[in-house]
Amino acid sequence: MRRGRKRTTEDWILDTGITVLLLLISFVTLYPFYYILIMTFNAGTDSSFGGVYLWPRAFSLDNYIYFFDDSRWMDAFGVTILRTVIGTALGVGFTSMVAYGLAKKDLLLRNAYFIFVIVAMNFSGGLIAFYVVLRSLGLINSFGVYVIPSMLNIFFLLIAISFFREIPEELGESARIDGASELRIFVRIMVPVSLPLMTTMSLFLGAGQWNSWLDSAYFVQSEELRTLTYRMMQVINQSMMPTSGGAEASASMARLSVTPLSLQATAMVVSIVPILCVYPFLQRYFVSGMMIGSVKG
Amino acid sequence: MFVWLGLFFLLLFHYLPMFGIIIAFKDYKISTGIQGIFSSPWAGWKHFEAFFNDYNFNNLIRNTLALSFLKVIFSYPVPIVLAILLNEVKNQFFKRFVQTVSYLPHFISWVVVSGIAYTFFSADYGIVNDLLMSSGIISRPLDILTNPDSFWGFAVSSAIWKEAGWWTIIFLAAVTGIDPALYEAAEIDGAGRIKRILYITLPGLKGASIVVLILTIGSILGGGLVGSNFEQAMLFGNPLNSDTSQIIQTYAFNVGLAEGRFSFATAIDLMQSVISVILIFASNYIAKRVSGSSLF
Repeated sequence: MRRGRKRTTEDWILDTGITVLLLLISFVTLYPFYYILIMTFNAGTDSSFGGVYLWPRAFSLDNYIYFFDDSRWMDAFGVTILRTVIGTALGVGFTSMVAYGLAKKDLLLRNAYFIFVIVAMNFSGGLIAFYVVLRSLGLINSFGVYVIPSMLNIFFLLIAISFFREIPEELGESARIDGASELRIFVRIMVPVSLPLMTTMSLFLGAGQWNSWLDSAYFVQSEELRTLTYRMMQVINQSMMPTSGGAEASASMARLSVTPLSLQATAMVVSIVPILCVYPFLQRYFVSGMMIGSVKG
Repeated sequence: MFVWLGLFFLLLFHYLPMFGIIIAFKDYKISTGIQGIFSSPWAGWKHFEAFFNDYNFNNLIRNTLALSFLKVIFSYPVPIVLAILLNEVKNQFFKRFVQTVSYLPHFISWVVVSGIAYTFFSADYGIVNDLLMSSGIISRPLDILTNPDSFWGFAVSSAIWKEAGWWTIIFLAAVTGIDPALYEAAEIDGAGRIKRILYITLPGLKGASIVVLILTIGSILGGGLVGSNFEQAMLFGNPLNSDTSQIIQTYAFNVGLAEGRFSFATAIDLMQSVISVILIFASNYIAKRVSGSSLF
């Protein structure tokens, strides 16, 4: 675009200014994560003196040893992994199946169904009424509460419907003539064709499941069903309260030079790392997914 | 068949709770279960009156509206600016790097964000206070997390930190859609880069801006595009800053599930929905007047 033309002073000032600003933004975004990371590799007792900014001063793996040895954290970790896997699979499978059904052009009363879906998306009965329903279904205080109500995601339902509409009818038609059932057509033909959609959906639903803590706080009482994010919230709240600064501190913690703060940092790192490993590689999918969503608005 | 399953599901998890709203007009007890929604005695407007007379009422309304509007006003322009800046970067690697970094926080839970916030800004052990104190800029630690005066500012900035990079995606896509011939023509006519940004890039973003604005308005009480007001108020709120951090939703949660006043909490929920519908219509009207396009 600017080939063969000399850079003006304006160019130079602008380029430098923008680069500096963007570097600053990157730093402000990244440094908190980096800081948390070095806290986990520094002995907690040492960190509490302050002054650790760039690299671990008293290198130690105690935080991780303590974390992976604590059955409550491990339980929470397991529940979180389980709900992410099951919840995402159910959510993606069910939502796209319903979308496939609703995308059929010869469906009777299609507009009525749409109104039904749109109303459900925009109005809700509020938390309490939802709680009452879950309670009557026996979902309160069970693992099901994590994965069943989220099986149908209305936002992705709409996106998936518009996606399936773009697929030529003939694709399923020939299979139908050969005697394939709808379920078979869906699994064998539609799923492979809509892989980008499925990936986007998995990423978003998966991240949602992984990060969720509200349902664990509201709808679950038994300790072994708590999620990782919920536990983290608890620990953060505890260390937040000035009076009970070390509520979780115990003998084994002291032996390992672990403090509630360093433990909290460790939990955060454990919860961030899986996301960090996945999201940069799925970029192209979610960028296009965002575009579909925004166009449909 | 898929359709029937789907509709049954909606009925169960969306419409049944919607009918559940009537418990706002009843004296509902949780022990009566789902039948109780229909069989419990009517209470008329009792719970609404109780809410209006609640000593928290003014505060709650003020906080809810302030948080919602401040977030929209301050966070909305940030992704647009970021997209323009990124578009001016020639080095593709640097551009990609900044972009990837900037939407990392979007995938992180608010819980982790609050943990990071405490690690950085806590008055006891936060490293920001630590640095400022040791360099002699301040003599007493800042109480950003517990001071009621700083809650709104803190909520807005943390929301921008978390979500601005994410919404840049849409604007950046819109920028790449602008015809390069426009820039070349402008350059031949002698327009400098700032002029080109102002007269080509900015107008080119108009369509995307309106779409995003409408999306924002539709969810304004929830926190607009930049994350959940509820989660922020829950996680950053504490007894010390509750004057400004308590919002309608958190209050409904506290009196409802924590204190077991189900009907009262549902009435509060319903009030929030009513305000939200009014706001959507009002801002939709304004959007229509100002830009000529609207949601409905």
